[in-house]
Amino acid sequence: MMGWRQSLQRTDMSKARTIYLNEPLKNTFCKNSISTAKYSMWSFLPLYLYLQFSKAANAFFLFITILQKRHLADRLVNSKSTIVLRQNAWQVIQWKEVNVGDIVKATNEQFLPADVVLISSSGPQASCYVATSNLDGETNLKIRQALLETAEMQTEKQLSSLSGKIECEGPNCHFNSFTGTLHLNGSSPVPVGPEQVLLRGTQLKNTEWILGIVVYTGLETKFMQNSVKSLLKRSSVEKVTNLQILVLFVLLLVMSLVSCVGGMLWKDKHGVDIWYIMKKEHNTHSFGFDILMFIILYHNLIPISLLVTLEIVKYVQALFINWDEDMHYKANNVYAMARTSNLNEELGQVKYLFSDKTGTLTCNIMTLKKCTIAGIIYGDQSSRSDAGGKKLSQSACSVTEAYEFNDPTLLRNLKNNHPTKACIKEFLTLLCVCHTVVPERDGNNINYQASSPDEAALVKGAKKLGFVFTTRTPYSVTIEAMGEEFTFEILNVLEFSSNRKRMSIIVRTPTGQVRLYCKGADSVIYERLSEDSLFVEETLTHLEYFAKEGLRTLCVAYIDLTEAEYQQWLVKYKEASTVVQDRTQSLEDCYDTIERKFLLLGATAIEDRLQARVPETITSLLKANIRIWVLTGDKQETAINIAYSCKLLSGQMPRIQLNTDSLEATQEVINQSCQDLGTLLGKENDLALIIDGKTLKHALHSEVKKNFLSLALSCRAVLCCRLSPLQKAEIVDLVKKHVKAITLAIGDGANDVGMIQTAHVGVGISGNEGMLATNNSDYTIAQFSYLEKLLLVHGAWNYFRVTKCILYCFYKNVVLYIIELWFAFMNGFSGQIIIDRWCISLYNLVFTSLPPFTLGICEQCCSQESLLRHPQLYTVSQTGDTFNIKVLWIQCVNALVHSFILFWLPTKMLEHDMVLQGGHTTDYLFLGNFIYTYVVVTVCLKAGLETLSWNKFSHLGIWGSIALWLVFFAVYSSLWPTIPISPEMTGQANMVLVCPYFWLGFFIVPFACLIQNVMWKSIRNTCKRTLLEEVREMESSRVQELDLPRDSEKSPRMETANLPKSPSPQPCEVVFRNNSVDLGNPHGYAFSQVEQTEISQEELVRAYDTTKSITMGTVPSALSEAVLE
Amino acid sequence: MKRGSHDCQSRLPDNTALKQQQLPAYRLQLTATIILSGFFITGVFCLGVGVILLLSAKNIKEVEINYTEKCSDCAKLRENTANFDKECTCSIPFYLPEAMKGDVYMFYKLYGFYQNLYQYVLSRSNSQLMGIDIKDVSNCAPFKNSHNGIPIAPCGAIANSIFNDTIVLSYNLNSSMSIKVPMLRSGISWWTDKYVKFWNPSSQNLSSAFAGTAKPPSWPKPVYELDEEDPENNGFINEDFIVWMRTAAFPTFKKLYRRLSRIQHFTEGLPAGSYSFGITYNFPVTKFQGEKSVVLSTLTWSGGSSLFLGLAYTVTGALTWLAFFAMMAIHLRLKGRKTLFHQE
Repeated sequence: MMGWRQSLQRTDMSKARTIYLNEPLKNTFCKNSISTAKYSMWSFLPLYLYLQFSKAANAFFLFITILQKRHLADRLVNSKSTIVLRQNAWQVIQWKEVNVGDIVKATNEQFLPADVVLISSSGPQASCYVATSNLDGETNLKIRQALLETAEMQTEKQLSSLSGKIECEGPNCHFNSFTGTLHLNGSSPVPVGPEQVLLRGTQLKNTEWILGIVVYTGLETKFMQNSVKSLLKRSSVEKVTNLQILVLFVLLLVMSLVSCVGGMLWKDKHGVDIWYIMKKEHNTHSFGFDILMFIILYHNLIPISLLVTLEIVKYVQALFINWDEDMHYKANNVYAMARTSNLNEELGQVKYLFSDKTGTLTCNIMTLKKCTIAGIIYGDQSSRSDAGGKKLSQSACSVTEAYEFNDPTLLRNLKNNHPTKACIKEFLTLLCVCHTVVPERDGNNINYQASSPDEAALVKGAKKLGFVFTTRTPYSVTIEAMGEEFTFEILNVLEFSSNRKRMSIIVRTPTGQVRLYCKGADSVIYERLSEDSLFVEETLTHLEYFAKEGLRTLCVAYIDLTEAEYQQWLVKYKEASTVVQDRTQSLEDCYDTIERKFLLLGATAIEDRLQARVPETITSLLKANIRIWVLTGDKQETAINIAYSCKLLSGQMPRIQLNTDSLEATQEVINQSCQDLGTLLGKENDLALIIDGKTLKHALHSEVKKNFLSLALSCRAVLCCRLSPLQKAEIVDLVKKHVKAITLAIGDGANDVGMIQTAHVGVGISGNEGMLATNNSDYTIAQFSYLEKLLLVHGAWNYFRVTKCILYCFYKNVVLYIIELWFAFMNGFSGQIIIDRWCISLYNLVFTSLPPFTLGICEQCCSQESLLRHPQLYTVSQTGDTFNIKVLWIQCVNALVHSFILFWLPTKMLEHDMVLQGGHTTDYLFLGNFIYTYVVVTVCLKAGLETLSWNKFSHLGIWGSIALWLVFFAVYSSLWPTIPISPEMTGQANMVLVCPYFWLGFFIVPFACLIQNVMWKSIRNTCKRTLLEEVREMESSRVQELDLPRDSEKSPRMETANLPKSPSPQPCEVVFRNNSVDLGNPHGYAFSQVEQTEISQEELVRAYDTTKSITMGTVPSALSEAVLE
Repeated sequence: MKRGSHDCQSRLPDNTALKQQQLPAYRLQLTATIILSGFFITGVFCLGVGVILLLSAKNIKEVEINYTEKCSDCAKLRENTANFDKECTCSIPFYLPEAMKGDVYMFYKLYGFYQNLYQYVLSRSNSQLMGIDIKDVSNCAPFKNSHNGIPIAPCGAIANSIFNDTIVLSYNLNSSMSIKVPMLRSGISWWTDKYVKFWNPSSQNLSSAFAGTAKPPSWPKPVYELDEEDPENNGFINEDFIVWMRTAAFPTFKKLYRRLSRIQHFTEGLPAGSYSFGITYNFPVTKFQGEKSVVLSTLTWSGGSSLFLGLAYTVTGALTWLAFFAMMAIHLRLKGRKTLFHQE
């Protein structure tokens, strides 16, 4: 179970390594090829055997298929190409051939093949951007910078002459730590830190090329170290089934024992006197021999065929998932894919859904959606007015114009001298100027490169409105506003930090005015507003509205400074920036002194676009009583915003925020919250729990864990932010271990692999570049919204199908084979069977093989439309009440009663022996054929009773099986002696089929068996009607739109419906004494930006000059031409 | 979610209703009307059939005479195998108060004889009985070979234990004069047995055909001398033998022995009057605490005199009606409640 923990410990202890530069022979580390398959060539056999024993099912072919699929995906990754320096020249090689010590070159948008230490790059100051969302889910780009000592190494010649070594720690799983030392020959050792390391799985962004030395390869990369070892997943239904098979096995032993004892008693009574058979030597079988004989006699009780049937049924179910057009993402032509068929029914039982945020709920695309300027809201009608927009939103994530800010009123106001014209102009100018974005000209197009996606969205939004940011030089920015060019001199950049929640820029406007532009969180801006500031109230209302919509808001404000004020501040600033101790703090203090008396301009609202239909899906899943936990590596504010926009959180929901940094504090706040909840603890409350990774580390401590879990389980929604991939897996593991419920994890990135593998069911979002999540998942879908169909329809269907199929297989086997026990009472427990051997063998193989398939493949508890319209129906399968040991026992007792009737009725009918015309007397097989026929009929009709939805295959399966047996019977009885089998059967059909008793019994025996089931069903249907039956009745009466209660409380009859606890939680009326609880309206503020890197934003801004053209080398030989500032 | 038919998106040609699980299906719904009327109709049907069956079974005349006790002297004699060659006969008079009209069948009935024992059922050689390989006795344990190693024909426990009493029915025309009731010993076995499963080995005559084999140990005579009256009824195709070879399902069973030949006095069946069974007692049953009897019976369309099936139908029909009324009551009660909430 704890494979990943073990792997963690193992790697933590691994020793440090030394990597020699340009000396490949000295570097002997693992290969760069990876394998995520369950089996390797060598571990296949033992693991396979383990699987076989633990699963007891024969699914060889399926596993081979899966195995091959995974290996195929791995092979795809392993054979990607990259460029390395070999024999003093650049060579293109495959990823798997990359060795430690190689110098690799990566170009823009490429994924890095291994963990490398950055040597140099095309970017300013040898820096580069990487997207790490694949690893940690964070949306902002990260900056990495090479050491000064190596920044100049760019040509093949320079690189080839590089000699020295890198000493660094052994492979481990921590993304944000790296300690190493670079020893270059002829210079003193330099420390290498995480700022110099580019990890496998990250993507190079906004940087033409980089060069790096490989330090970890293959499975030793941090990315792979974070992966959780594939586990063998078995569905809970399967586990119950195994238990049930065990129960049957015990039953088998009991039956054998009873028969054995019966046989001994019989022999005691009759043994010596039976002159017609017993000779002395025939009476001396040992007890063990007898037991064995009876076990063999009754062994068919164990439904071996069930396992084969199930595999086929599940395989077809998986095909249905793969074929489903509703889960076909037309934009990419991607279908859903079931990568394993083991867990089909588990999809119908999901209780906890763990979802990644970035790329799963969202598209990871930000756009300026709305804004409020001078108290007037813009961009609002676009979503409301055009109904067509809704249709579009169903389709895709692709950027279409319809999504972007589009409000003619704004432009109209701007052109028509609206009273707020000045404000609008100032607002848009601010958006164009106050940022750290770098424009990149590509012909007539301008691409904006930004480490913060929010800033890029703002600049793009302004561009659409005619305020185009065109050029950045180290000390100025140029914008083109309504056709005119303006150049702003950048005086200072007052940096963003999550503490400050704002960033400002001091510029000299074209008119020479010194002005401070600021954008930031409403809380920080509002406390710095000047008393003269207008539209404060209106903007606040708008902000609230934006926040409720789940938009990310930023307030923008400005202040004009006099030259004197500025100069005065500049002196202070220079002082602060030279302070040695706590420079950051003193700088922030200094910033604070000038960021005052703001004049509010308005606020922006950026949409972190959700994938299509995410809010609807989440609403529907919540109604289905599925708890949704969002686990993200991203920041808390963004997570909260998304939770609002996808309707996971609602306006007035109290939010418990856990942000502490010590174990004691965590323990205290958790205990306090638990106490406040009191009796509500453990029930589902309309609460949200928000926790960050740091606090979670403490919360998962063994002392706190229990309380934390019960607190989390009492909340309707849980958001976990800033989590490492391992923490995601740990949370899933926590719930999986301590709550008896099925968990499902869904994600798209490599950082979700752990939780996908840990959860009972792992779902990957496909279509993303990194294939790792999909490669490790059990099901892949292209869109989050497809989860609705996957769970509510396929899951529920499959659950009913599989459980019905299993129960039915148990039933039919018990029915037939218990009959042999009844017969044993008649034949002195001698082991004689009443039915022909071949008929027994063909029972599961032919005559009753079709009904399980039709049940397992075609059965529909109710229509797809109903399942989607009434998500509450999901709770029926979710609780698993229709399949457990108790149900099995009921079914077995039912089978026992049936077999009793099926044996004793024909026996009593034929006991008199005078049933044939002409006075002919009969034999044991004559009785056997009666019984067998009635068994086949009863069992097939029982399948018919279980079948709720009869399509043509159901008819074929049920009537066909009965007809098939009768035909077979006729043929089989006339085989001997032409074909030398079963001489006993000769002529049976001639006699049986003309016997009036046979046909009279043909009706009465199955009827006597099944009438109880029909009665039971109809009484239940009348008295204890469930929601499912309610819906089905509606379907059959075709009054679809009749007032079916959507929420169970609305109907009085629902009270009798025995529904599990109503899915809608009661509003929370707890008084929290805890200051960690946020009861107010949500703040929409969220902003992603890199912080606390080696290079400050100011340095970064100063480094670019887009007026100079950079010749970009795309071929390795042209690299040397790259010029660095 | 619902895919409209107007969705003109290029649909793959094989994207069928089957693949989308949209096959037209009838949703089985157990509505009150269906269930109640179903129960009612089935109840009527069962009761009707049951009554018919009971009535027709009532018309059957059956006489069973257990002769284990009545021939106890013979039974004692047979307990000792050493007396196998001593003949023992026994006569049992009985009075038939009513005539048995139509075809009359004579059965022998054994109590406590387990023809369904595993070892017993197996102990036969079908290829030998087909006349293909007269010496194939491989499955016949424990009666494969005689003491001197000669293969037994017919081998096996079933053949060895053949019912070998002779039962003759006599009709007392008057107090002094009795005639033998004419009985047919043919047509008592299954057609397929007589013409498919059992064949004599081919040879000029039967005794040479069975040369090289021994008679079963319990038999007084070899297989080719089973019927002294009809030479065509000898060897493996002897009908009494064939009937015996079909092993019964129950430890108490009947086997067809003779059919009434409807000639002379008996064209209408057996007239009322006094009869007697003349029994040559050979078959030992007291050893295994068994009993044997002889049964005379007429048959009707459905079979013999058993009331069981008729009762089963009647009881099921009655129960179905009971269930019908019970469910009707429940339904009416709940329907009343239902209308309270759902103004229908």
